[in-house]
Amino acid sequence: MTAWVLMGIGAFLVVVGTIGVLRFRDVYSRLQASGVSDTTGAAFILLGLIVHRGLEPRDATLALLLLLLLVTSPIATHSIAKSAFTQRHGPREDE
Amino acid sequence: MGVLEGVLLGALALVLVRLFVGPTAWDRLVAANSASARVVLLISLAAVASDSAALLDIAVVYAALSFLGTVIFARTLERSGGRR
Repeated sequence: MTAWVLMGIGAFLVVVGTIGVLRFRDVYSRLQASGVSDTTGAAFILLGLIVHRGLEPRDATLALLLLLLLVTSPIATHSIAKSAFTQRHGPREDE
Repeated sequence: MGVLEGVLLGALALVLVRLFVGPTAWDRLVAANSASARVVLLISLAAVASDSAALLDIAVVYAALSFLGTVIFARTLERSGGRR
């Protein structure tokens, strides 16, 4: 039951992020929708999968995948945002 | 398990729409990044459903490689601009 609730929350977040990527106007708004909801949605779905299987020693791979996504997804989002910002708006004004 | 996979597949298809129509290169990069996140989730769902450890390893490697690809594309666009 807990596993299905967690995976349901994750699926809801993924659907919300998809709508945001489709409907927002700007690169940065789309990045906001995609980055935040993908990270939390993937974390919730993977947590739900871990709970669904019950804690076994083999679940270390799922935990590793969860940790990897939690570390790398914000870094990728920041990298895209930095790339778009430096190319479109030039250097920052305070430098 | 079927409903969750259907929802993720629908989300993947809708994100691929943004990948095809996105006006700038960064829009396509955002769409590719979130599409690969959904693919990782689908692979791990299939791994848990079929109870195979090899598919989970594939999901980990796919996540790492898609992160590398996104960062490398972003760095390249940062230098060259999105102009064709």
